[in-house]
This record gives sequence, structure tokens and C-alpha cells, in this order.
Amino acid sequence: MPYFGSEETVKELKRALSNPNVQADRLRYKSYITKVIRYMTQGLDVSALFMDMVKASATVDIVQKKLVYLYMCTYASDKPDLALLAINTLRKDCADPNPMVRGLALRNMCNFRMPGMTEYIEQPIVAGLRDKASYVRRVAVLGCAKMHSLQPRTEIDGSLVNELYALLRDPDPVVVVNCLRALEDILKDEGGVVINKPIAHHLLNRLKDLDCWAQSEVLTFLLRYRPRNDDELFDILSLLDPFLQSSQSHVAISTLRLFLHLAAAHPAVQADALLCSSAPLLATCGAASRELRFAGLCHIQQVMRSQPALFNTHYKRFFCGYSEPSYIKFRKMEILVALVNDENVALVLEEMKSYCTDVSAELAQAAIAAIGRIGRTYSEKCLDILTGLLALKQDHITSAVIQTFRDLVWFCPQCTAAVCLTVESCVDYPQDSEGKQALLWLLGEHADQISSAPYLLEVYIDGLKTELSAALKMEILTAALKMFLRRPAETQDMLGRLLHYCIEEESDMCVRDRALLYYRLLQRGIEETRKVVTGPKSDPSLSVLTSAQEEPVSQWVSIFNTLGPLSAADLQLHNTALSASEHTDDTADTELLTEHVPVSMRDVSEAGVSLCAGAAVSPEAFEQMWQQLEVLQRQTVCFSGCAADTLQSALQPVHIQTLAFSPARALPWRAYIYSRGSGTLVLAELLQDDPEMLTVTIKQQPEHQQTVTAFISVLQSVLQTLNTGQMSV
Amino acid sequence: MIGGLFIYNHKGEVLISRVYRDDIGRNAVDAFRVNVIHARQQVRSPVTNIARTSFFHVKRSNIWLAAVTKQNVNAAMVFEFLYKMCDVMTAYFGKISEENIKNNFVLIYELLDEILDFGYPQNSETGALKTFITQQGIKSQTKEEQSQITSQVTGQIGWRREGIKYRRNELFLDVLESVNLLMSPQGQVLSAHVSGRVVMKSYLSGMPECKFGMNDKIVIDKQGKGGTTDDTGKSGKQSIAIDDCTFHQCVRLSKFDSERSISFIPPDGEYELMRYRTTKDIILPFRVIPLVREVGRTKLEVKVVIKSNFKPSLLAQKIEVRIPTPLNTSGVQVICMKGKAKYKASENAIVWKIKRMAGMKESQISAEIELLPTNDKKKWARPPISMNFEVPFAPSGLKVRYLKVFEPKLNYSDHDVIKWVRYIGRSGIYETRC
Repeated sequence: MPYFGSEETVKELKRALSNPNVQADRLRYKSYITKVIRYMTQGLDVSALFMDMVKASATVDIVQKKLVYLYMCTYASDKPDLALLAINTLRKDCADPNPMVRGLALRNMCNFRMPGMTEYIEQPIVAGLRDKASYVRRVAVLGCAKMHSLQPRTEIDGSLVNELYALLRDPDPVVVVNCLRALEDILKDEGGVVINKPIAHHLLNRLKDLDCWAQSEVLTFLLRYRPRNDDELFDILSLLDPFLQSSQSHVAISTLRLFLHLAAAHPAVQADALLCSSAPLLATCGAASRELRFAGLCHIQQVMRSQPALFNTHYKRFFCGYSEPSYIKFRKMEILVALVNDENVALVLEEMKSYCTDVSAELAQAAIAAIGRIGRTYSEKCLDILTGLLALKQDHITSAVIQTFRDLVWFCPQCTAAVCLTVESCVDYPQDSEGKQALLWLLGEHADQISSAPYLLEVYIDGLKTELSAALKMEILTAALKMFLRRPAETQDMLGRLLHYCIEEESDMCVRDRALLYYRLLQRGIEETRKVVTGPKSDPSLSVLTSAQEEPVSQWVSIFNTLGPLSAADLQLHNTALSASEHTDDTADTELLTEHVPVSMRDVSEAGVSLCAGAAVSPEAFEQMWQQLEVLQRQTVCFSGCAADTLQSALQPVHIQTLAFSPARALPWRAYIYSRGSGTLVLAELLQDDPEMLTVTIKQQPEHQQTVTAFISVLQSVLQTLNTGQMSV
Repeated sequence: MIGGLFIYNHKGEVLISRVYRDDIGRNAVDAFRVNVIHARQQVRSPVTNIARTSFFHVKRSNIWLAAVTKQNVNAAMVFEFLYKMCDVMTAYFGKISEENIKNNFVLIYELLDEILDFGYPQNSETGALKTFITQQGIKSQTKEEQSQITSQVTGQIGWRREGIKYRRNELFLDVLESVNLLMSPQGQVLSAHVSGRVVMKSYLSGMPECKFGMNDKIVIDKQGKGGTTDDTGKSGKQSIAIDDCTFHQCVRLSKFDSERSISFIPPDGEYELMRYRTTKDIILPFRVIPLVREVGRTKLEVKVVIKSNFKPSLLAQKIEVRIPTPLNTSGVQVICMKGKAKYKASENAIVWKIKRMAGMKESQISAEIELLPTNDKKKWARPPISMNFEVPFAPSGLKVRYLKVFEPKLNYSDHDVIKWVRYIGRSGIYETRC
């Protein structure tokens, strides 16, 4: 911030500092030095005063010394030759009888960022490492790291590294941690500090002496260590146990991460640790400071990825306070959506409803979208609330509600009729582009259920000339075409007008191309067009497969307690990166079809074909295959429904794997299962439309009729047993 | 680790800037100002990423504290560190305000020098720091002081230095609670919790061993019925259930886990012994009963009754009720039985202040709000009525049962120590929807 008159100021200061009268008066002299630092902080370039400041360093006043050192550290790299003048004073101070002066001098000498510094500081650092005052040792240890960062590419001094490793046994806890930090920096290219068994055990035993910052860091370093056997592992875990409940949330979270990492092979221990640390995590969410609350919420979201039910009883903790900043409110709403179950749905929805009228439009829209997501399971209640919100007649709310309707219709086709009725009777239509697009999509897709659809569409077509958004024009085109296929008589005229305008007068290339495409398509005949435009879409219920999955802990533990959970964008990136890599390294089909010798031959069916579970099929691979394969057989079975886990445990012994199922009591209820036999993979969908009947759809790769018969007979017998079991109960 | 620390005032002027690592350039100070402090929209997150550099910020009144780093660090730790930094500064010069920071700016640089080195936290205990920060700053020290530094610096107990002597051994115990409430218009408690702190000021000689006891349900139940009969007599509630609690580093956690006893060697001076939270059986000091009636399109009648719900002998203080009003308010008439009420147009609220109020009392305010007719169809989203107060008891029901001091090496006993206990309950977010 070099502002007007800055040169004057510097000159004035220079004059004052070199004035012998000022130099004689210690207080006045010091006040001028303070002034220099003040200007430096404000961004003024005061490097011209370097010479005078170096002179000021020769003083007995420690505060003044500190200020001058701060100045010199900032400008040393600009004036290396002048800075050398100060080194003599500093080296002299390094031999001072007062440990504080020694430490101060050494620290600042190491802070000078200029080439050729190493030769001056090496000897004091080595002396400092052996100093009897731990204050100096602390400084000297970090000095090693600073020295290395001055010349990052030089050879690493082996003896220095050894000395640092030896200092890990120092009685002062801060020296120990500083050693770790310094070694980590110095050995960065070789993969950081090596944590072997003696070091790990030593650190674990010293852990309680350290201050909380050090604890947190040491726990992170310990992630590198792998215990040799289970005995050692459990010894370590019991040592760590008290820290799970640490007063400092960051220590508790670090411990949790280490716990999860160490116990990767023991899911039960992991679950215990998560349960145990749920209290400190919740406490962090109730912390007085909002930033910490935010961090706590983000970490809870991570934990919920593998244990969605852990915080079920505490859902009220995630109700938003009125004065909380919106970043906290967004996170809380996301968590609330995930926590919804039969018992709390009414209260949660009531709470969400009150957020919908929030002052911040963004937050209100997010709340509406959240209700929509809850609506995928509890559609009726949510539809009521959403319809009620339309009556408020506020633009941003209406728009968000219509968008939510669109998504809801897509995910739960059963609420189409209700949505269409609401849209029909709605008087106020969205004004923003996204809302309009959603409305148009609904009109086009369900033109047969909304009687006034053509008239609504006509308004948009008439206003096309003044419309700016290309995306909206595309949506109008698509909606008009879809509507034409369903209600040709009312739409033909306006579609003609629309196509003419878009092809002849539209300036946006994308819109023009789309219009041309539709025009040529229509030329091919109505049937052809119908096949293309209203052809079958991807089955939305398949998303059951990918959503609401309980992820393994290993999925997120690597980013736990870092910056990752706090930035949602990074998180998504991380996820896509992960799944992408998964796709490349498991060449799906070959792996799926590898024959596994069945463990037991108990379940041999009539046809003599045995089923076996084999390798697990990933949801993505399943989805991909399900969409590719043709339906082989469809059959209805008498089945009155049962709890999902009962079904799962009943299918397990007969080597049928359950991949995913919709939440209990949802209608239609679906489950996806698979099994292997005779070198083929059998995929099946169980669909329950009405309470008594279950439709089984079977696909197979490669086809092998006998396996399918065997599969069906096994499945039928299981379902029958479940049925009778329920009746007897 | 932390590459640099900056402090700004509300205008974005740099008050303090300290860079610890080379990877943080000089333009980082400006990047934060431009992207966060001067940004148009609301703050999106306490962590901002600008050009692969993460800025963690905390706002205290209108001062911004920002920590900068290029590494992928533990976010919770950086925030805790910033709070610790605030605590240390408060301990040295009181409230964190622009003026205080400007006046103490040399001291802050000294502190920053000691607390962090090369971006790594070194020493953040106020008591221990006092040895290093010499504001009078004359180099020649007495022999005694020198040996003190050496012993402190090599000592096992980082939070207390040896050789402390007081003529009068005193300790002050403050139980500070903040009670949070969210209540529905029908008077149903949607959520309520108390977050409390036990703050201790100890002026004790030597290396005393302390033991702290409170009416924790688990302990009381364990001790059986015999020992606690006198407790029941005094307070209505015998014991409280603590949801979670955390302690100062000095408390021996292993002992707490096994016996649930809190024993420790206290730091010198003021520090926070424990933090806790309770959610069950909270005594809500006040009930707010709102009544809002819309009379036509241009008038609103609001009646709010507050009832104090504690012993009549106790006095609540600094009571403030904030009743929000719609944006299109043109005039307000207020009548209140007690205290003073005023409509503050700039804050869109009626602020009703009562200096003191005894327990088991009731007070009422009624207001007529006149509205400007608008064509804005937007319905007024009624913000909740919030309340502030201070009461001289602990809303969680926590009671200090004893605090024993043992110092075997020096000749003073538990009885010689003068102990003071004080309970203060403050309102946190105390809101009633209307």
C-alpha cells in the first residue's frame, strides 16, 4: 500500500533514527523503531532504513531487539550484504548466559532468508542442539528445518539427522515434537520421518505429556506406523483410548482417525470407536464458536457416510438457530435429511418448513430442495408442505418448489398425479430461468395429465423473442415437441410457429441446431419421432443402488481430519477421482465371471446346478449390466413383505447376495440381488407393487437356463419360508 | 503448518501481519482482504481457498484473525489455535478491539514470536508465556529469574512454573453457564442445552494437588444414598447428568475415567478447568409467551409475557427482550409494566430492557405496530423473540461440592486456602418462535 507521501515518511524516520539526540534517549529511540514496524505492517516499504535498524540491534533492551529482528527478517532477503553486518551481534548473543537471549538470537538468525546464510548458522545450531536449556534446544531443532529450507536441494547432513533422531528422547516434550516436525521437513523427499516400533512406542508413552497441538500432530505422524501383530495393535489402541474423549476436539478427531486407520481390519473395533467419539463430535457441534461448530458438522457428515444411524437419536441437535451463519445451516440441513426416519419425520419436516421462509433466498431454496429429498421416501407429507408453500406466492419459493416437483416426479413416479394436479391449479408461475425450465419439463413430460398445458406453453412460445436464455429456449423446444406427440391437435400450430422462428430467426447456434434436428425428425414420420423422443429412459429407481449406500470407513478415513471434509467441492472431486480409478482397474466383466468353487454343496437344487456367491459385484457394475441385458424371465410370487435385513440374512446361506433395497414400507419396494452358478451371473430385481405380490425380474449373463430355474426355485423356497414364518408370528 | 497470521480491522486494514514460512508470499495479506473482507456476498465458509492457499478466519467483534497455510492441515486444530490466540491476547490486554490491538502491537508481535516458530505451535499457556514476555524489557536479569526460565523450560509440567509463592493462598471458582433454548410458539421446548465452563483463578503457592467435586450423577449414584442426604435438603435436584465434558490439560484423565474424580495440579492464574454440556432437566430461568395478532393489513398487535422461574430470593439482571418487527413498520406504541422499552428502527426490533427482576415474577409488554401498506406479497417471516439475561445460579443445576487443596511440601493446608465460588448463568441463544 505505497501511498502518497511515503517517501517523505521514510526520510523523516531516517533522520530521526540517525539523530544523536534521539539515540541518547532510549524511550524516544524505541518509539521511532516501533513506528517503523507499524509502517511495515501497513505495507509501506521501509527497507531503506535497514542500516539504521541494524545499528539499533546493538542494545540491551530485549523488546527493542525483538522488534529490530522482526524488521531484519522481513527485509534481509532484499539487503543481504547489509544483513551480514547484523550477524556478528547475533552470534555474540548466541553465547549469552541468558537462555532466553540465546534462543531469541538463534531463532532470528535462522529466520534470515538469504543465500549463504548456512555457513554462519550451522555452528550455532549444532551448539544449540546440545544446550542445557530446552528453550534453546527447541529453537535449534526447528533451526535445522529452516536451514534445510534455505537450500532445499543440497545433500542432507546425515549426522544432523541422526542427532535429531536421538533428540526424540529429549525430556522436554516440545523438543520431541519439534524434532518430528524438523525431520519431516528435512526428509520430505525421502517420504518424511520414519516411525519404527521403538519410536512409535516412545511417542505413545509420551503422548499425555504433550500439549494439545503436539498431540494432534503426533497422532497424525503415528498414522505411518503399522503394528506387527494384533496384540501390539490392541495395546496401542488401549493407550489411545483416553484421547478419544479429549477436551480438545481436534485431538479427539485425530485420535479417531488413527483408531480407524489402525483398526482397518477390525470393523467391530472401528464401530466402537465411532460410537465412543460420537459424544465429543456432538459436543463440537454445540461449541460456542461457529467455526468449530462448522468443522464438527463436516466431520459428522463424514462419519455418517458409513454409519448413517449413529446420530439418529440426536437429530434435534441439528436444528438451525436463527442467528447461525448460513454455512452452518446448509450443513445442518444436509445432515437432517440423512437422519430422517419414521419416528422423527413429522418433526423434521415441521422444522424444515420453517426454514423455507428464511430471509435468505438461497437458504429457503435449499430447504425446499431438502424437503424434496425427504419426499423420495415420504412423498405424501412432503407434497402437502410443498403445495402449501406455493400459496405464499413468492418468486424464489415458487421456483424452488417447481424444481423440486420435477425431481420428485422423476424419482417417485407414483406421485405424478398429485404433482400434476398441483401444477394445474397453481396460479403463480416461476419467474427465473431454472424455475421456468422445470415447469416446461413437467408440462412436456406430463402433458396428458395437465389439461391446461398447451395454453401455458403458448405463453412461453409467444414470449420467445424477448427471451435471452438459450437453455430455456431449448427446453421450450423439447416441451413443445413432447406435447405435440401427446396432444397433436392443440399443439400443432404453435409447434410450427416455434420451429419456424427458431430455424429462421434465432441467432443462437445450439437452439437452431436443436430446432433443425426436431424438424428433420418430424419429417421422418410421427412414429419414428415418438420412438426417439419418448423412448424409454434410464430407470430412476436404479439410483437406489448408488444412493443411501453405507460406505466402508476406508472410503473417507484418508481425508478425515484434514481440510477435505470442510470443502464440499473438494470432497466431490475426491469421490469422482476415486470412482474413476475404480472403473479403470477392475475390468468389470472379466472379474465378475471368474468362477469360484462353492464352499459347500449343500444347496444343490433339482437341476444339479449349485449357486455360489463369488466375488462381490460393485453397484456401478451391476447397474451397467442391468441396463445392458435383456429380461430373461419374469415371474410373480406370493409375498407379503418383510424387513430387509431378514431377507438379506435369509438369502445369505443360499448364496444369493443382496446388493441394495429401498427403505422399508416404501411403495413400490425394490430389491436387487445376484448370484453365480455354472459360470454365469444371475441378476434379479424384486419389485413389490401391491402388498401381496412380488414380481421377480431375472437377467443373466451368459444365458444358462438351468441356473435360472435353480435360482428361482431357491428364491421361491426362501420367500415361502419367510411367508410362513411371518404368519406363525 | 501455519504459514502466517494476519489481523485486520473491519475495514480490512492490516493491524498485524506475521509470516512464518517462505511459501506465503507478501500478497497473501491482500488476497484475503480482497476475497473475503471486501467480498460482496456473505461469508461462505470459515475456510477460504485462494490460489491453493487456505485462509482460516475467525471474527471477534469487528476484528478479523486469519491464519494462512499452503498445507492440508487439520482444520479443527487451526480454529482451536486461533481461539487460543484470542484467549492469550485477552489475558494480556483485555477485550480484542482495534484500539487495544493498536496499543499493544509490540506485545502481540512478541507473543506471536513465542507462540509459533516456523509455523509450529510452541507454547500457548498464558502462565508459562509470562516468563518470556518482558514488557519492561531490560536485558540484565537477576540470577533467580534466569534459573526460573531454565527450570520452567525443562520442567515436566508445562503449564505451571515452580517456585510460586503467595502470602495469601486464594482461589476463585466461577461456574459460568450459557443456557440455550429454542421454543415453539406453543411453549414446547424444541431444543435446550446448557454449555458451561468452570473457570478457576488460583493463587496458590508451590505445586499444589487439587481435587474438585461436583454433583455429577454418576459419582453421586456410585457413592450410594448414605453420603448425600444433606445435599438433597439444600437443592431441589440431587445430581445432574452431564452429557459430555472436557478438561484442561492439567486434569488427569485416567483418574477421571476410572474413578470419575477430577484431580490436577492447577496452572497459576486464570484458566478454564472444564467445559461441559447438559441437556436434561434444565432450569429455564425465563419463559417467554408471545401473542401476535394481525389486525387488518396495516396493524399488528404484539403482547409478550415473560415469567421468571427461579427462587424469589434471587435476582436476575440485565434482562433484554428483543421483539422483531416487520420491515415496513411505520410506528410503534409500547406499554410495558416494568423496565424500559424502545422501538429501534435501525434494528427492526422493539428492545425491552429490565434492570432487575426477582424470581417467580411476571411482566408484560404490549405493543401496537403500525405497518405501511405495501404491494410486496412477501409474507413476513417472523424471526424468533430472543432474550438476554444473567442469573446468579447455574441453570444446569450443577453444584460445586468441594475443592480440596493438598500441598505436602509447603506448610499450608486445605483450611488455610480462601476459596470463593460464584455461579453465573447467562443466556446463550435463547429464542422463542412466534
